[in-house]
Amino acid sequence: MASSSTSLKRREQPTTRDGDQLIVTPLGAGSEVGRSCVYMSFRGKNILFDCGIHPAYSGMAALPYFDEIDPSTIDVLLITHFHIDHAASLPYFLEKTTFNGRVFMTHATKAIYKLLLTDYVKVSKVSVEDMLFDEQDINKSMDKIEVIDFHQTVEVNGIKFWCYTAGHVLGAAMFMVDIAGVRILYTGDYSREEDRHLRAAELPQFSPDICIIESTSGVQLHQSRHIREKRFTDVIHSTVAQGGRVLIPAFALGRAQELLLILDEYWANHPDLENIPIYYASPLAKKCMAVYQTYILSMNDRIRNQFANSNPFVFKHISPLNSIDEFSDVGPCVVMATPGGLQSGLSRQLFDRWCSDKKNACIIPGYMVEGTLAKTIINEPKEVTLMNGLTAPLNMQVHYISFSAHADYAQTSTFLKELMPPNIILVHGEANEMMRLKQKLFTEFPDGNTRIMTPKNCESVEMYFNSEKLAKTIGRLAEKTPDVGDSVSGILVKKGFTYQIMAPDELHVFSQLSTATVTQRITIPFAGAFGVIKHRLEKIFESVESSTDEESGLPALKVHERVTVKQESEKHISLQWSSDPISDMVSDSTVALVLNISREVPKIVVEEEDAVKSEEENGKKVEKVIYALLVSLFGDVKLGENGKLVIRVDGNVAQLDKESGEVESEHSGLKERIRVAFERIRSAVKPIPLSAS
Amino acid sequence: MGTSVQVTPLCGVYNENPLSYLVSVDGFNFLIDCGWNDLFDTSLLEPLSRVASTIDAVLLSHPDTLHLGALPYAMKQLGLSAPVYATEPVHRLGLLTMYDQFLSRKQVSDFDLFTLDDIDNAFQNVIRLTYSQNYHLPGKGEGIVIAPHVAGHMLGGSIWRITKDGEDVIYAVDYNHRKERHLNGTVLQSFVRPAVLITDAYHALYTNQTARQQRDKEFLDTISKHLEVGGNVLLPVDTAGRVLELLLILEQHWSQRGFSFPIYFLTYVSSSTIDYVKSFLEWMSDSISKSFETSRDNAFLLRHVTLLINKTDLDNAPPGPKVVLASMGSLEAGFARDIFVEWANDPRNLVLFTETGQFGTLARMLQSSPPPKFVKVTMSKRVPLAGEELIAYEEEQNRLKREEALRASLVKEEEIKASHGSDDNSSEPMVIDTKTTHDAVGSHGPAYKDILIDGFVPPSSSVAPMFPFFDNACEWDEFGEVINPDDYVIKDEDMDRGAMHTGGDVDGRLDEATASLMLDTRPSKVISNELIVTVSCSLVKMDYEGRSDGRSIKSMIAHVSPLKLVLVHAIAEATEHLKQHCLNNICPHVYAPQIEETVDVTSDLCAYKVQLSEKLMSNVIFKKLGDSEVAWVDSEVGKTESDMRSLQPMAGAASPHKPVLVGDLKIADFKQFLSSKGVQVEFAGGGALRCGEYVTLRKVGPTGQKGGASGPQQILIEGPLCEDYYKIRDYLYSQFYLL
Repeated sequence: MASSSTSLKRREQPTTRDGDQLIVTPLGAGSEVGRSCVYMSFRGKNILFDCGIHPAYSGMAALPYFDEIDPSTIDVLLITHFHIDHAASLPYFLEKTTFNGRVFMTHATKAIYKLLLTDYVKVSKVSVEDMLFDEQDINKSMDKIEVIDFHQTVEVNGIKFWCYTAGHVLGAAMFMVDIAGVRILYTGDYSREEDRHLRAAELPQFSPDICIIESTSGVQLHQSRHIREKRFTDVIHSTVAQGGRVLIPAFALGRAQELLLILDEYWANHPDLENIPIYYASPLAKKCMAVYQTYILSMNDRIRNQFANSNPFVFKHISPLNSIDEFSDVGPCVVMATPGGLQSGLSRQLFDRWCSDKKNACIIPGYMVEGTLAKTIINEPKEVTLMNGLTAPLNMQVHYISFSAHADYAQTSTFLKELMPPNIILVHGEANEMMRLKQKLFTEFPDGNTRIMTPKNCESVEMYFNSEKLAKTIGRLAEKTPDVGDSVSGILVKKGFTYQIMAPDELHVFSQLSTATVTQRITIPFAGAFGVIKHRLEKIFESVESSTDEESGLPALKVHERVTVKQESEKHISLQWSSDPISDMVSDSTVALVLNISREVPKIVVEEEDAVKSEEENGKKVEKVIYALLVSLFGDVKLGENGKLVIRVDGNVAQLDKESGEVESEHSGLKERIRVAFERIRSAVKPIPLSAS
Repeated sequence: MGTSVQVTPLCGVYNENPLSYLVSVDGFNFLIDCGWNDLFDTSLLEPLSRVASTIDAVLLSHPDTLHLGALPYAMKQLGLSAPVYATEPVHRLGLLTMYDQFLSRKQVSDFDLFTLDDIDNAFQNVIRLTYSQNYHLPGKGEGIVIAPHVAGHMLGGSIWRITKDGEDVIYAVDYNHRKERHLNGTVLQSFVRPAVLITDAYHALYTNQTARQQRDKEFLDTISKHLEVGGNVLLPVDTAGRVLELLLILEQHWSQRGFSFPIYFLTYVSSSTIDYVKSFLEWMSDSISKSFETSRDNAFLLRHVTLLINKTDLDNAPPGPKVVLASMGSLEAGFARDIFVEWANDPRNLVLFTETGQFGTLARMLQSSPPPKFVKVTMSKRVPLAGEELIAYEEEQNRLKREEALRASLVKEEEIKASHGSDDNSSEPMVIDTKTTHDAVGSHGPAYKDILIDGFVPPSSSVAPMFPFFDNACEWDEFGEVINPDDYVIKDEDMDRGAMHTGGDVDGRLDEATASLMLDTRPSKVISNELIVTVSCSLVKMDYEGRSDGRSIKSMIAHVSPLKLVLVHAIAEATEHLKQHCLNNICPHVYAPQIEETVDVTSDLCAYKVQLSEKLMSNVIFKKLGDSEVAWVDSEVGKTESDMRSLQPMAGAASPHKPVLVGDLKIADFKQFLSSKGVQVEFAGGGALRCGEYVTLRKVGPTGQKGGASGPQQILIEGPLCEDYYKIRDYLYSQFYLL
């Protein structure tokens, strides 16, 4: 894990300075369906969208490619909805990796997530070492998951995000993430069509810069809901009328509730069907009814109005079925059973029992993942392999009526046209379908301003956002709006991605930070006459003022208006000053001076000529130092003819005027470098001006 | 200059009257809260009536009468027509509260200030927001963002944040910092340094809030004591606000103790209230949503509480001690008043008030100390008319109907004449005279009115009568008639039929009794009689108001430390007290305006925006401090291509600046830090810290509130010249950033 994570980090490194690079890497669901997981990184913030499992694989192979990233760097993990291909690797990711960021999902998703995964752990028949997590891990993960309501804006480490209704299933959300003004929309699975209980996906208020969108349906167009439902009920009606049995393998939650609503209503309108039983064989769905009844507010107005009279999720014609043992297979009936892919479990048991009778029918109501039996029988093979390994003829009618609440091509293209995102990243779709969708979308956005990308798993998409950094100057500094050429100096405070410039003494007013002054007072034993100190100080410092302390009447000295030297008693003097580097230095030298007086009687011989001479010497020394430092920085530095220094780097030539600091060069980068270096050197070797503002 | 902000109280300052404030942000007028009291005193709304038509948006904070009671009336009578913003629970529970108010009032008086339809209309256009949803106002309010945040106190209760150009105006009244059974505490403390904070001083003088556990114990002990001696307990409550907390306490206690005494929750809308509340789990406290997520236990599936929607059900209940929670809390109307009158003279009974009654109401009177021995109560009742009265009423109604019909016919004739006179040019070929005179219709009623044509007198100016003729103009192009594809679309409606016939939105949920009351058009009248009620039952008041107390209010304001503060909604003493406190300790700009007095709280903050050039930023080295980063910049102003000011690095050397130490030193933390470094350290007197043997360190100068306007900290470090001194000074420096 470590080795590959560095590979991704290395790619980031050259850009950390400006941080304008945005990387999107699908760790799952890149040109495939299943194990949705998309990694995104911008300006040092890392986000993971969804955390699914591939339903057709088991064990570690079903996980997204988590080893591509370093989980400990992820700030936020956002889960769009509760389906296994979007949420099931969450317990693994939370409990078995170094991830320590925050996880968010909607209320309804969280409530169903637990039930669903507990069920998943129970039914998945894999060996213990292949188990990715157990029930305990799920319970522990519940404590770490935080909830977010639709439209609620949450901010984590400067990352702002909120979610919109996505349709698809109860509690499904589309996440909009805002990092430093760059917006990314991750749709998850969404549907723009309102159905019996769910709202259609909302159109976000703002257009995102990047839209990571699902492409499950590719370029297909859905039949109208009306026709779909009619086909569905017609098939069922005619099959049971001929004495056949209908098997509907469906995923326990999501579409199943919609189909049950349709069936219950159809039975209510057709009294002749009254004696034909409908079963839904999913204890899980039964358990989740409470959730469906509670989060009625997340559903559409239609269901809320129905709820006013009676609970539409209390079915009159449908009864639950717990296991195949309870089921008396005597006559025509309709059974909705899990799992949807006919991999194992009750739906498979019933399929095995019914598949060779041509009176029976099997209706596949939604999207089928590659590699499952349900996908196989859509192509109507002559024979199928049963669970016990035998082969049996496939005589039952197989109907594929898609109720999948995924956006079809018409919805996708309208959605994208409304949003007009400059970058579109397609995920969650089979490679071929995705390519077709990409081609067709290209024709829809012919202006060439739109990039459409279809990265494979672990393939990074890189984009650059040259977002400007804006700062707000506030308070005293902003009393006068400056003109070009004026200087602005102050404290720059960065919080999240907002910048403010303010005067230091207003720091506590406009931010939560505060400033401090540290006053220092030290006492030094000194037995000599106070006048001696004064004399010595005057020799060294330019400004020494003497005064008397008001309280005690004792003499005091002020050195450079910074350090006060006071005679506390016969034996002690005290120094008091307010901390800053220069004052500290002045006080240190004062201390040294005082200590020297006490140690010995020094001989100070002032020679005026020396002073002049030393100034000249100093000048030469400074030049030497500057030259030496420049050589150490740039290598080839020579003294030019006109007194300028000629610097050669990689064939580029620059001339530096030692007096003014002006640099002439054709290479702007080099020019800038030399200018900065020279300025720094000069400020280092020049004496510090003591009259600080 | 900053965003211009003016605050004008319309109701509810220097007293406990309902809340209603006008806040104008850059000319956009917000009406924040639109409250009324239980007495429905129209004089309170006069200031509102003067400005109602200029209001651009209404924000509601809590679902009770004091915060939204006047909304239906203002919408209907005062010309208020702005969009209303509220959270989903405030919308639903507010609606139910208003239903309950109306039905209670209608029962005892000829209440005509607003009708159920007016309530529906007022609440129909509420735009529902979720907590922390940043809503960008459209149209005139372009650039203003509003967001409700958790306030506590009531389900869905909000503090509102109005943001424009990065400046926050925060409206926070009746918040509760404490977490309760069904609610989370407010998030007010997460806002720091807003430009303006508008808050209430309601509880500023109230400080002795007992701990929750002790209070709950007293509460339950008092109730069970009275039940055990065979008494009844009445809790006058609001319709859908604080009562939820009480229900949960009782429910929880009853299941723990296994009590069998029945609990009744009696309001006109009790069952709808609980039905809705059950679906509001995401608005409740973390513990409630957690328990639902893990075990699917909905806390409001009440097992011990019976929901009643009329008094007869209570009268039919088996006799014996019981607990009744009934509305209104003010005892001015509603079931609570009836029950109080019935139960007051039995000393075994208990009337338990859980909040301070509104000023001037019966509840307030009973809460005075000592409690009154007798109270005079006017009891009113609606009775159907009978005998002579009924006949007289019918005659009167008939006469009114006749008169009205006559007037209508006259008016219409006038209109016809007028229109005939003037419509020669109009495209309408003919107006068929479809009205009747009253005599012709007689008692058949107005149903037949439109098909009879009487005295056909064509006005002289009109053309001859004709059948209406519409020119069926159709457009043609080279492919034939232009058709509208929409006409040929088969509508998907048939499948929606199943649901649609259930009809109506919220009305659908109204209880049958309510419906019967609404539909009951039998003539009735209100009779009143005055009673002297002997109050011999126990009267107890306990604080379940769910508001922060004075101390927490002060520390909350200090923590938020707004640049400007506006105080509202409290009696004069409390307002003054809090004003003085804030002036002395928190911020220099505290306002407490009178009714209709406009205070200008425009921030005098200067600000301008600049772009930070890449060149500058590449030279800036940030230092991290808490969740923000700081750096010193010296720069020169330049222009970008888009003519925006941008900061470039200085061309020459920057003039040196006075170094700044940034950081917040806490003596206690520093002590720990030093001891972790192996320095002997202990507290000496006067807040000084003795480090090592000789060095002392202390804070000097005014040490105000943290982050308050008190200026920089001043720290004094003192000691003789020794190694320790320099070591400790280095440690001290390490706590700060030098810029």
